Amino acid sequence: MKEVELDCLGEACPVPLVKAQKKIEELEVGDVLIVQIDHSCAMKNLPEWAREAGHNVEIEEIDDGEWEVIIEKVK
Amino acid sequence: MSDTNISENQDGAAQNSSIRRSSRTRSRKPKKNQIPYGIASFAAIVIVGLLLLRVSPTLGLFWYVGNCFGFILQKTRFCFTAAMRDPYLTGGTSLTKAVLVAFAVTSLGFIAIKYGAFAKGLPIPGQSFVVPISLATCAGGFMFGIGMVIAGGCASGTLMRVGEGFIMQILALFFFVVGSLWGAHDFGWWKLNVIMKGKPVFMPDIFGWLGAIMIQLLIIAFLWIAADKWARRKQES
Amino acid sequence: MKVFDNLKKNHYYKIWFKDAWPYLTGAVLLSVFQIITLATTGNPWGVSGVLANWGAWLYQAVGGTVDKWYYFASEGAQRTLENGFLKDPGTMRNLGIILGALFSALIASGFKIKKIKSWKQVVAAILGGLLMGYGARIGFGCNIGALYSGIASLSLSGWVYGAFLFIGAIIGSKLLVKYFM
Repeated sequence: MKEVELDCLGEACPVPLVKAQKKIEELEVGDVLIVQIDHSCAMKNLPEWAREAGHNVEIEEIDDGEWEVIIEKVK
Repeated sequence: MSDTNISENQDGAAQNSSIRRSSRTRSRKPKKNQIPYGIASFAAIVIVGLLLLRVSPTLGLFWYVGNCFGFILQKTRFCFTAAMRDPYLTGGTSLTKAVLVAFAVTSLGFIAIKYGAFAKGLPIPGQSFVVPISLATCAGGFMFGIGMVIAGGCASGTLMRVGEGFIMQILALFFFVVGSLWGAHDFGWWKLNVIMKGKPVFMPDIFGWLGAIMIQLLIIAFLWIAADKWARRKQES
Repeated sequence: MKVFDNLKKNHYYKIWFKDAWPYLTGAVLLSVFQIITLATTGNPWGVSGVLANWGAWLYQAVGGTVDKWYYFASEGAQRTLENGFLKDPGTMRNLGIILGALFSALIASGFKIKKIKSWKQVVAAILGGLLMGYGARIGFGCNIGALYSGIASLSLSGWVYGAFLFIGAIIGSKLLVKYFM
C-alpha cells in the first residue's frame, strides 16, 4: 500500500486534476494519492472526479487556501 | 453532487479518516484566522459603495452587483472555462451542465423583461447585445476559447482569481487589457470587411416570442442531455 | 481573538461562508443577478468591453490617443472615455468582482497569494490574455458578454460564438497539455 504525493501548489486551473488523473493510473488498488493544491477550483473538481471514478476521497485543509486531497484507489 | 466534506479538528488533523496513511507529510503550522480580514473587506466594500452612491446611483449599483457576482463566482467555484474545456480535457461536464442551467434561467428572466417592454410599446432593453453574426463572431469565439484555457480563466474567472490572490491572473488581466486595445484598434477593419457582411438575429423576430423561448430551452435541454451522456460514457471507459 | 475562532465552529458560518456552494446554486444566483442587471441598468452583464476602455485610458496615460479609432468614435464611447476611470460604472462592476471574490476567500479563511511558478505560466498568461482581449473585441464580447448574455438575450450570435468558443477550448487544451503543463 503505497503513498504517493503530488505537489500541485501554484498550478493553474486544470493542471492538478489532469496530473492526478494521469498519476492514479500508475498506482495499484489500495494505494493512496495525496495531491497538494492551493487552487479553489481543484478543491472541488478533484474530489468530484475521484468520487465519480469510485475512489475513496477525503480533503484536508492544511492552511489558509491550501488543501490536501487524499485519494485511495479503489478500482 | 459537489459536497466536499472537509473534516478537521482545531489544529487541522483529519478526524475519522477512513483512509489509512502515514503521519503528516507536511508540518502543520497554525492556521491564521482570516475572518477578521474578511469582515474588514466587507466593511470596505460597503463603504466604497456608499461613497460611490453619493457620486451617482449607477456607480453604486454597478459596484454592489459586481461584488455579488464576484462573491458568487468564488463561493461556487463557477468557471465558464472549465464548462467548455473539461468535456474534452478531463471528461467532466458538471460545470457544463450548470452553465446550461444558467443560460436557461437567465433566458427566462430576460425574455420576460424584453417581452414586457415590447408589449407596452417601449424600447426593448439589452438589444445592443444582439450583434451581427459574421466570421468575426467565429474568429473571436475561437481566439477567446484558446486564450481562456491557456490563461487558466475567462474574463470573469480572471477577475475572480485576481481577487483570490493569483499573481498569474494579474498578468493575464494586464495582457487581456492590451489585447483588448489591440482589438479595438483593428475593430474598424473587421467592421468594414467582415462584420458588415453579417446580420444580427434576434430569435423572437424569427420564431415569435413563445417559439423563441421554447426553441432556446429545447436546445439547452438537448445539450444538457448530451453533456450528461458524455460524462457517463467517459466514466465507463 | 476568541470570538473569531468560535465563529469558525458556527454551523451557519460553515454552510454559508466556509464551504463551497454547489454549481447549481451558482447557476441560479448568477441568473438572479443577471436579471437584476438587465432590469436595473437596461443591459445585461458584460466584462470585456470595460477592459478595452482600461486599455484606452492606459494608452492615453502614456501619451497615446484613440481619438481617430473607429471603435471609440461613437458619442457614447467618447463620453465614457472623457468621464474617466473613476466615473465608469462598468469599471466599478469589474473592480467589484475582484473585491467580492477577495471577500469570499477571506471570510472562508481561504485566501493565499499564489506566485507564478514557471516561465511557462508567464508565456501562457501573456498569450492567453492577448488572445482573450483581441477575440473579445472582434467577437463583441467574452464568455459573459458574448456567450452568457448573448445567449440569454436570445441572440443567435451567442450560440455561434459558443460553438467556436468550444472548438477554441479544445485547441487550447491541446496546447496547454503540450506546452504549458
